[in-house]
Amino acid sequence: MTILNVSSITNAMRGKNLLEQNGIHATVSRAMEEDGSNGCGYSLRVPDSQADRAEQLIRSIRIPIRGKRMEAGSP
Amino acid sequence: MIYLDNAATTWPKPLPVVRAMDEALRRYGANPGRGGHSMGLAASQEVYRCRETAARLFHLSDPSGVIFTLNCTMALNMVLKGLLRTGGRAVVSSLEHNAVMRPLNALSTSGPIYDVARVAEGDDDATVEAFRRCIRPSTRVIVCTHASNVFGTRLPIRRLGQLAREYGLPFVVDAAQTGGVLPIDMEEDNIHFLCLAGHKGLYGPMGTGMLLCRGSYWLPPFIEGGTGSRSLELVQPSDLPDRLESGTPNTPGICGLRAGMELVLSRSPQRIARQESALMCRLYRRVKEVPRIRLYTGMPELERSAPVLSLNVEGYGSEKTAALLNRQGIAVRAGLHCAPCAHQHYGTLPGGTVRFAPSLFTTEAEIDRVGDVLEQLAKNSEKSLQS
Repeated sequence: MTILNVSSITNAMRGKNLLEQNGIHATVSRAMEEDGSNGCGYSLRVPDSQADRAEQLIRSIRIPIRGKRMEAGSP
Repeated sequence: MIYLDNAATTWPKPLPVVRAMDEALRRYGANPGRGGHSMGLAASQEVYRCRETAARLFHLSDPSGVIFTLNCTMALNMVLKGLLRTGGRAVVSSLEHNAVMRPLNALSTSGPIYDVARVAEGDDDATVEAFRRCIRPSTRVIVCTHASNVFGTRLPIRRLGQLAREYGLPFVVDAAQTGGVLPIDMEEDNIHFLCLAGHKGLYGPMGTGMLLCRGSYWLPPFIEGGTGSRSLELVQPSDLPDRLESGTPNTPGICGLRAGMELVLSRSPQRIARQESALMCRLYRRVKEVPRIRLYTGMPELERSAPVLSLNVEGYGSEKTAALLNRQGIAVRAGLHCAPCAHQHYGTLPGGTVRFAPSLFTTEAEIDRVGDVLEQLAKNSEKSLQS
């Protein structure tokens, strides 16, 4: 899974709705950096195969993406 | 009790609203937008759903522009103090509530910073022209009520929105009385800031309100604090809604508000407007021929009026009339209704008026009973005078 970090819960919810409308399943969770620290934001988890498209869609409604990474354990 | 004080707050609240608040307390008790646990995310989802519902009801394209406030007054303060923080003037109507006038007066350090456009009841051309004449080079905003909370007089907000566009000004609408009662389309009406009470025509609980923001006019934070986002930074986030919301939100209230708005959507504002307008017209017809009942407006038809009616019984002050009605189990509000400017416009200072405002739960039978009681009060006031 790919993690897309956004700054706020509202942006995460907006992003999730948009992705779901475009056939991309997304789950919202608290942002967690790789070093375990919390950037105090939220993230959207999407399938790796749809990550680029998801990023494009989220940016298209002017939601800033603060970070993008593959989840540990992703192939 | 026949409750006709719905312009102050609606009662009763619909059962779905009560249930939604109960559910919020039981199931969504976590602080939304803070933790990452399941209940916190569920609460966040409910809050967001309310933003979406508000955006849908008022035709706002981005739910992020829905800001939760305590009430409409707070929303108006945020907008007026934000837009006029570096100076400039406002154009207002002659019917504004103190929620508009008091913040403007507070900002007026050396003379009023507002110009008053006199509303011409039933003549939108004259009203728009009055606003136009008030616009100066130093005008920074046009702000007006959608309809008078005392007399129901409706302003032509679509045309005023066009006027604002013509002059490149932000357009602020006080929709405390009309949100959920009259149709409002922020896009078509060119409204940049829509200020709403959650607890009136939207049937949410008291302690809820909204500020809907559209377009690029920037408001500074009103209250800085925790937002559950970007916490490493000691400055308020710049994105909406976080820029204008700090601290723990009123989740049960917001859930109730959403249920109220869903009810309004299911009935449609257009149908609600027709229903309530018909009731006020019924009351108007009933009392207009009664001697000693003084009316101040024409028939409160939908095209020119929100469903609100003010009157007085000659021989009684407005508060006495309201007290006598209360003895008959009829709840209304008397006095100045926090809108001295409207009373000045209609010549009802200093005593004010008795105001009647229905909800979607008001019945024709109740209106007929009120008409009967008013007629009796008018007869009694004449007898009191004679004796």
